[in-house]
Amino acid sequence: MSLYQIFIEPWERHASAYWPILAMAFFVTAACGLVGNYLVLRRISLVGDAISHSVLPGIAIAFILTNSRSGPPMFIGALVAGVITTLIIEVLHSRTRIKQDAAIGITFSTMFAIGVILISLHGSHTDLDLDCVLFGKLDFLSSKEKIIMGLPGVALTMGMVALIVGCLIVLFYKELLVSSFDPNLAATIGISPRLVHYLLMCILSVVVVSAFTSVGAILVIAMLILPAATSYLLTDRLWVMMLFSLIHSFLSAIGGIHLAVAFKIPTAPATVVCGMIFFVAAWIFSPTHGLIRYWFRSRASVNGECIN
Amino acid sequence: MSTEDIAVPALEIHDLTVSYQKRPVLYGVDVTVPAGSLVGVVGPNGAGKSTLIKSVMELVQFSDGWVKVFGEDLKNNISRVGYVPQRESVDWDFPVSVIDVVLMGCYGRLGLIRRPGKEEKEKAHAALKKVGLEAYAKRQIANLSGGQQQRVFLARALAQESDLYLMDEPFAGVDAATESAIVELLREIRDQGKTLIVVHHDLGSAREYFDMMLLLNMRVVAFGKTEEVFTGDLLQQTYGGRLTVLSEIAEKFAKEQS
Amino acid sequence: MVPRIRTIIIFGVALLSVTVHEAAAARIGEIVETNPWDQIRRFITFSDRGLRLSLIGAILFGAVCGLLGSFIVVRKMALFGDAISHAVLPGVALGFLWSMSKDPVAILIGATLAGLAGSLLVGAIRRTTRIKQDAALGIVLASFFAIGLCLIRIIQNNEGASKITGLKSYLFGDVAVLDRYDVIIMGVVTISTVILFGLLYRPFLAISFDRQFAVSIGYPVRILEALFQMFLAFAIVISLQAVGVVLVSAMLITPAATAYLLVDRMHRMVWIAMGIGIVSAIIGVFLSFLGSNLPTGPFMVLSASSIFTMAYLFSPKYGRFTKWLRYRNRAKKVREENSLKSIYHVLERRGMESSGNRVLITDLSSHRKMSVTKIFKEIKNMERSGLINLEGNSVSLTDDGFEKARSVVRNHRLWELYLTNEANYASDHVHDDAEKVEHFLSEEEVSELESYLDYPQKDPHGKPIPGRASA
Repeated sequence: MSLYQIFIEPWERHASAYWPILAMAFFVTAACGLVGNYLVLRRISLVGDAISHSVLPGIAIAFILTNSRSGPPMFIGALVAGVITTLIIEVLHSRTRIKQDAAIGITFSTMFAIGVILISLHGSHTDLDLDCVLFGKLDFLSSKEKIIMGLPGVALTMGMVALIVGCLIVLFYKELLVSSFDPNLAATIGISPRLVHYLLMCILSVVVVSAFTSVGAILVIAMLILPAATSYLLTDRLWVMMLFSLIHSFLSAIGGIHLAVAFKIPTAPATVVCGMIFFVAAWIFSPTHGLIRYWFRSRASVNGECIN
Repeated sequence: MSTEDIAVPALEIHDLTVSYQKRPVLYGVDVTVPAGSLVGVVGPNGAGKSTLIKSVMELVQFSDGWVKVFGEDLKNNISRVGYVPQRESVDWDFPVSVIDVVLMGCYGRLGLIRRPGKEEKEKAHAALKKVGLEAYAKRQIANLSGGQQQRVFLARALAQESDLYLMDEPFAGVDAATESAIVELLREIRDQGKTLIVVHHDLGSAREYFDMMLLLNMRVVAFGKTEEVFTGDLLQQTYGGRLTVLSEIAEKFAKEQS
Repeated sequence: MVPRIRTIIIFGVALLSVTVHEAAAARIGEIVETNPWDQIRRFITFSDRGLRLSLIGAILFGAVCGLLGSFIVVRKMALFGDAISHAVLPGVALGFLWSMSKDPVAILIGATLAGLAGSLLVGAIRRTTRIKQDAALGIVLASFFAIGLCLIRIIQNNEGASKITGLKSYLFGDVAVLDRYDVIIMGVVTISTVILFGLLYRPFLAISFDRQFAVSIGYPVRILEALFQMFLAFAIVISLQAVGVVLVSAMLITPAATAYLLVDRMHRMVWIAMGIGIVSAIIGVFLSFLGSNLPTGPFMVLSASSIFTMAYLFSPKYGRFTKWLRYRNRAKKVREENSLKSIYHVLERRGMESSGNRVLITDLSSHRKMSVTKIFKEIKNMERSGLINLEGNSVSLTDDGFEKARSVVRNHRLWELYLTNEANYASDHVHDDAEKVEHFLSEEEVSELESYLDYPQKDPHGKPIPGRASA
C-alpha cells in the first residue's frame, strides 16, 4: 500500500466521483453526528441502533410496493415502522416485567428479521438487497442520479436534512439542553420532556432513514455515536461538543474515502473505521479526559496516598 | 389548622395516594399549606417524603387524589413553583458550566425558542452570588464538591423567582457552615412572603429550622406549628415503624389496582 | 449435586454420539426441488440426512443460547450481548484469513478473541472516561462490525467471490452450510457450557442476583465473570452460521425473556429458555427449508418472537389476556358487592335488616342514584348466582346474599374506624377510601382489624358495625 494510493489516487483516478461521495458522506455523518450528541448525553445511544434496525421492514415494504428507492414512500414506511417499534418497546417495558434493554433487543431484532425476510423473498435486486443493508451504497451514488448544482440529487437531499437538523438544534438548543440535563426541571418549567423526547426520536428517524441508502442499517449507529463520543472527550461545553462532532464527521468522511479507494472497500464501513481511529486518538491523547492524563493522574494519586 | 388570614393556600393536597411498583408510598395524604411558611417534611427512610413533593410537581403519577397550587391546577400555575431535586438526579458529567445550569432557572419564563439575554444573565449571576458561588460561574459542574453542587441547584431555584419552593433534601452532603448559610437563605426567602416546603432527614435540626412541620410516614401523622407537632407521642408514631395493617392492606390494594 | 452431574454427563454423551454419527452425513443445500409439500414431507420424515445435521445444530445452539440468555436477561445485559455478537465479525474474518478456508476452529478462536476484545474495550472505555455504558457499547459494536465488513471485502477482493460464499452465511445465517466439523464443535461447546453451568449454577445465580454479596462470600467473581463472557463468546460463535452476526443477540434475548414472563424461578427459567430456544431454532430451520436460498436467522428470530408474543398474551401469571380476565372478574365482584351493600343500606335505614325482607327497585335506584334499568340488569345477573331473589319489582336478599352484604358493610365501617382511630386520618376523609378497600379485605385481615380495634360496635360516624354470624 503506497502513500500514493492512499492520498493521491482518489483525487486523480476518481475525480468525478470524489466530491459527490465526499459531500454525501459528510452530510450523512454530520446529520447523524448532530443528533448523536443528544443520544450520547441522554444515554440512549442504543435507541438509535434499535430505530435504524427496525425501520427496515417499512423501507422494504415501501420499496416492494413502489419498486423505487425514492423518497416519500420510503419515509412513510420507515416512519410507520419506527412508531410501531417505539410503541411496542414502551408497552413491553411499562406493562410487563421485561426490562427496557431486553424490550429493545426483542423488538428491534424482530422488526429487522421481518425486513430481511421481505428483502430476501423479493429476490435479489440491484437497488435494495442485503448488501445494501450491510454496507450501504455510498459508492454507487453518482452513477445514475440527476446532477443539480454539481451534486447528485440524493446528496442534495441529505444536505437539506443535515441543514434542517442543524437549524432545529440551534432553534431549540435551550429546550434540548434542559430536558437532556434535568428532565425533572424541564417538566416543572413547562417543557415536556416526553414531547422533546419524541421530537428527538422523529428527527432521529428521519436522519436514519435518509442515511439508510448510503450507509445501511447497521453502521448508522457508528455515525450517530462516534462523533459525539469523540468530542465528549475533548470539551466541557455542549455547543463546542457539537462543533467538534461536525469536524469529526468531516475528517472521517474524507479519511473514509481515501481508505476505501486504497483498500478497495466500501466507503461506509471505511468511514466508520476512520471515525473509530479518531475516537481512539482522542481517547488516548485528550488533554482533559485522555488515557495518558488518566494514567498520569491515577499514578499521582497513588503517590499521594503513599505520602499520606 | 391555624391559618392566618391568607385566603388562598400555597399548596393544597387532597387524599393523595401514590404507589410505586405496586407498593404504596403515600396513602390518603391530605395537607393544606398556608402561604408564607417554611415547612419541614420529616419522617423515616421510605416514608414517601420525596415522593410527596414529586407528586406535587406531577413527576410521579398518583393513583388517587388531587393537588392545587395557589388554588389552581399545577399546569396553570407552573411558573410560580420552583423545584430543587436531589443532587443524584442529574448527570454531573454533562457538558455544561455552573452559570449554564443557573440560567436554566430562567427558561420557564422565556418560553420557546427565545434565548436568555442580558437580563437573565444578570439574574443568574445575582443568584450565584447569593449562594456564594460567583467565583465558580465558568466551571464545569463535575468539578464542584457535593455541597457546591447542591448550592448550584439552590441558585437555579432562586433564578426561577417562584412563590412556592419544593426542595428535596437540600442539606444532603453539605458541611455545617454551608448548611447554616442555606438556612439563612431559606428564611430570607420566606420573609419575602414565599412558601418553602423542604424535605429534611435530620430530626434534631428540623426543630430549629422550620416554622411548621409535616410528619410523614406513608400517611400524614401530624401537620402544624413546629412546637405543637414536635411531641414525643407524635414522633413515636412517625418513627415507630409503619402501621402494619395499613401498609399491608395498602400494598394489597396497590397490587389489585395494577 | 452428584445426580445432577450424572444426568448432565449422560445427556452430553448421548448428544455427542448422535452428533458424531450424523456428522458423517452429507450437507443439504443441493436440493433443486422446491415444491413446498414435498419439502414438508422431507422435513417431517427426516429423510434428508443433511437436514438432520442442521436440526442437530439448531438444537445445540438453541439450547446454549437459552441457557446463557437467561443470565443475560436477568443481569440486564441484553444490549451487551448484542454488542458482543456484532463485535465477533472481524474475528470471523481474521480466522478465515488465517487458514484461507472456512476452518471452524480458526474461526472459533478468532471470533472468541474478537468478542473478548470487544467486551474488554467496553469495560475500558467505561472505566477510564466519562462515556456511559450505552455509548461504549455502541462504539464497540459499530466499529468492530465495520472493521469486519472491511476485512470481508478485502478477502473477497483478494480471493475472489467463490471463497466468500462461506463467509456470507455468517451475516444472516444459513443453516444449510453447516458441515460435520461445525456440528461437532457446536456439540462440544454446548456440552461443556451445560456442564459448566450445571456445576457452577449457584455461584452464577448469586452473581446475577447480587454481585456484591457474591464478592462478600468469597466467590472469585472476576474469574467467574470472565468465564461467563468467554462462554458467551463461544455461544455466539457457534450460533453465527445458523443465525448470523446481526440477529444472534435475538436468540440470546428473546427465548430467555419469554421464559422470564412464564416462571419466577431461575432454574425453571433456564430450562424453559433452552426449550424455547430449541423450538424456535427448529421452526426457523423448517421455514427456511421451505423456500430456496432463504437466510435462516430471520426465520428463527421470527419464530422466537411469535412464541414471545404468545407468552406475553397468555402467560398464566403475567399475560395481558389473563390479567384482563382477572380484572374483569374483580370488577364483577365489586359491582355485585356494591349492589348487595345498597340493599343492606336501604333495609338498615328502615331498621329491618335481615334476609327475606323486600326492597323496591325504585328505592334502590334513588339510593344509589342509578337508573332503574341499569339496576335491574345487575340484579338479573345476581339472581343467577343465588345472592338475590327477584320478585316482580322488588328484591330480597337470600341468606348467602345477606351474609355477604353484612361482611361488605362490616369491612367498610371497620376500615373507616381504623383509619380515623389508628392512622390519624380525619373522619370526613375516610369514606371514599373505605368504598374501595371494603372489597379486598380477607377474612384474616378483618379479624386482625377487629382485635386491633378491640371488637368495636360503632364506626366513626356512629353507625353500627355488623357482627359476624358465627361469632
